[in-house]
Amino acid sequence: MNTYDDKWEDRINALLDGELSDMDADALKSEATDDRELARAIIEAYQLQRAMDAIHVERAPASLRKRLNKIPREQRAESGFRLFQPRWAMALAVIPLAIIAVNLMQPDTPSADEIAEARQQLAIAFAYLDKAGTITGREIESTVGHTMADALSGSVNRTIKFTNEHSKEKEV
Amino acid sequence: MKRTIMTKLMIGLFCTLLSLPAIAQEDELKDLPGYVDFGDLSSLYGEPKIIINLGGTMLSFVSMMSSSESPETADMISKLKGVRVQIYSTDENSDAAKAQFNEVKDNLKTDGWEPIVLINEDDEQVLIYMKMENGLMEGMTVMVVDDEEAVFINVIGQLNPAELGRVMNSLDVDVDLDLP
Repeated sequence: MNTYDDKWEDRINALLDGELSDMDADALKSEATDDRELARAIIEAYQLQRAMDAIHVERAPASLRKRLNKIPREQRAESGFRLFQPRWAMALAVIPLAIIAVNLMQPDTPSADEIAEARQQLAIAFAYLDKAGTITGREIESTVGHTMADALSGSVNRTIKFTNEHSKEKEV
Repeated sequence: MKRTIMTKLMIGLFCTLLSLPAIAQEDELKDLPGYVDFGDLSSLYGEPKIIINLGGTMLSFVSMMSSSESPETADMISKLKGVRVQIYSTDENSDAAKAQFNEVKDNLKTDGWEPIVLINEDDEQVLIYMKMENGLMEGMTVMVVDDEEAVFINVIGQLNPAELGRVMNSLDVDVDLDLP
């Protein structure tokens, strides 16, 4: 992390941990929209947090642990393949680091340009949805009349509005 | 010999780790209840003229970046888990697209999607279906096929169409589509 990132580190960490007040969070996001380096620092911190969250340490099955415990220590020392030799322990320790590195190297870590492009794609998708809505509204209107078309679209919107409110109640 | 086998195993493990995120990203949307398989018309019409695949992670970034300009837009986008668009030019030959339209429509019915609007004209077919689970909207599918183009849209998550116009304005992107 460079000095620029150090400057923002505490606030970015607080933002990702949900510890910033709404006002401070909005202020930081607002600064990020004008400052690509800050936006990139937030995105990288977010990706790192996701990568860390994705790492799970799997426990060995109980039956395997029992069998391992039953092996006398002398026999373990004589076995050909020693899992707990330092070089293997190091190799195993490298795996979580490799996972983090792989996650950070993935091209799906979006840059500011990619986010801007996604924003444009979303607008295109919404425009086509709007176009489909206009076509259906026009067809319904020509078939059953203006009043009935309004009633139908109102009914659909009420259903979706109810769904959204129901969703908010569930979240609470 | 033993060392060679273990080295190969380690290389194999590392290659597997490398491919995991890409596979997971591809499967991220497919596992969601609001996902719809539109099939592939590229063998008949060539590559889609527009193809959009936005997953939950990218949408969360777009939402975050929109929050300071328009909290309402950010809130709406944050409820989306995925947005997929495929648009093909049918060039006055929409028979294959109409067949695909009907096949997807049958699959939607089988999978418990609810019809909202269905227009079946000779020159134009339009369909809007919604997927609900436990009283919540899981997805919306819009398909439009006419002699000019075949449009397949799948929105995964919650979306209120009544808010579309306002959100499009706040996204401040100039999109001008010709209506037939």
